[in-house]
Amino acid sequence: MLRRNFLKVGALAAASAVVVPQLSATDFRATKPNTWTAHTVDDAIKALYGAITPIESGVTVGAPKVASNGGAIPVNVKSDIDAKTVAVFQDANPEAAVIVFEMNEGAILNYDIKIKMGKSGTITVIVEGKDGKFYVGKKTLEVALGGCEG
Amino acid sequence: MKIKAKIKGDIVKVKALAKHDMTTYNQAEKKTGDRNNANFITHISATVNGNVIFDASTSQFLSKNPIFKFQFKAAGIKKGDKIEMTWVDKKGNTKTDSSKIK
Repeated sequence: MLRRNFLKVGALAAASAVVVPQLSATDFRATKPNTWTAHTVDDAIKALYGAITPIESGVTVGAPKVASNGGAIPVNVKSDIDAKTVAVFQDANPEAAVIVFEMNEGAILNYDIKIKMGKSGTITVIVEGKDGKFYVGKKTLEVALGGCEG
Repeated sequence: MKIKAKIKGDIVKVKALAKHDMTTYNQAEKKTGDRNNANFITHISATVNGNVIFDASTSQFLSKNPIFKFQFKAAGIKKGDKIEMTWVDKKGNTKTDSSKIK
């Protein structure tokens, strides 16, 4: 085998190894770089999961109706769906992606995080189920004091 | 990083606070005039007994000193086991801390 071909095969093998689900961590910033630079929620979802039509059920997004401090908004994501990944987006900041969780063996889908939002907007959470389907939950809130400039 | 992990019945509840400024691109531009000075945690994960039980790729839109609360099944895990958490930021700094599960 030519060395050049051999290297190509090696690179391919390495690339496919990343895609195979495994117990170790996936760095979505490295594997899906366009997700993190997308300006709209739709573009970010497309970059992460492709063209999907998520089902609007089964995902609960908890956040205050009015957040007094946009620099630290408590957000809870909860679901009984047997999930592979969970992605949180919002439409108030220059870019849309906030966090992507990878669910490993034994993980429970109940996360609390604190996020920044520059103005009022909607938080969108996509859950990728192990059944290959996608689910979506949304929460719209008002932000009294934006948290992206401070 | 502050980590508190507690077994409750058949689940383990974890509360973790990472100390990090989480500077966004806009904040960096305003303060230093250069967007590239933005720095934030890009990846955070937790392991117990060698198994990854929490794993997240993150962006600049987590709050300053972000808090993560998460849960996992306690099967095979007992009090006194060690939970280890590691984060990496955009500039390549990394920090690992551990705590005993109570």
